[in-house]
Amino acid sequence: MHFPTILVLSLIALSAVLIGVLVTRPGATATRGGKMLAFIVLFLLPSLCMTMGVSSELERSTSTDFCLSCHVMESHGRSLYVDDPNYLAAAHFQNHRVPADHACYTCHTNYAMFGGFRAKFNGLHHVYVQYFGKPHNPIRLYEPYNNRECLHCHLGARSFEEGAVHTADPDLLPAVKANKMSCLSSGCHDVVHNVGQLDNVKFWKGDK
Amino acid sequence: MTEAALGFTKRLRLAGMLLIAGLIVEGVCLLWVRPVTFILLVCGGGLLCAAGIVVYLYSLVSAGEAEPEP
Repeated sequence: MHFPTILVLSLIALSAVLIGVLVTRPGATATRGGKMLAFIVLFLLPSLCMTMGVSSELERSTSTDFCLSCHVMESHGRSLYVDDPNYLAAAHFQNHRVPADHACYTCHTNYAMFGGFRAKFNGLHHVYVQYFGKPHNPIRLYEPYNNRECLHCHLGARSFEEGAVHTADPDLLPAVKANKMSCLSSGCHDVVHNVGQLDNVKFWKGDK
Repeated sequence: MTEAALGFTKRLRLAGMLLIAGLIVEGVCLLWVRPVTFILLVCGGGLLCAAGIVVYLYSLVSAGEAEPEP
């Protein structure tokens, strides 16, 4: 368990005990000090607990474990362990090109102004579909993958800017940077999760 | 005990119960990393705590109204 979660849980326990004391002895609020204590215990502490709880939960919702806790994401989680460097998601995850414990969120958050907010909103939609609807089979992105998400890290990197394949055609990099040609185009980085092929691949067991 | 004081005590207890229920929901939700606990924390725990706080603030306001002018 993460330290912030332990801290929030401790604060919740303390608040619940203090509220319990006030509920069993409401006469304690008759004095000025009692009134101040009641304000702290019945207003400030619960507000702080909720703020910290929601903040901690929002942070945890960006974790790989959180995303893969839905049954529908199981195969995508397995695809991160494919022992083949051509599998884009697996290569990023296994080589820590993305933080392994925030792998899904790192690549699937849109890096525009309201990216985090949109990711959360889409997450709520995912939860709704998970419990009350029927997920697509196979699941699919809401919109085509935007190169902006790749360029967030790769733009300016030597391997990207000076790579032999990237510089072979002078029109390629400008088209990629303008999102006119997808990084995931056929013949380029087109093997991403490929969950349909997981029965025919070897798996890496190093980090499990 | 006056009727106003009784009403205040009653509302204070109700606020406390709501807050304890909300905090328990929040605590339980924080023990699991699941999408449904996120929803439960915000919708269940959040609403209970908000209701508790509103009842407490209302009890303060109503107690202030009930107090006689000096």
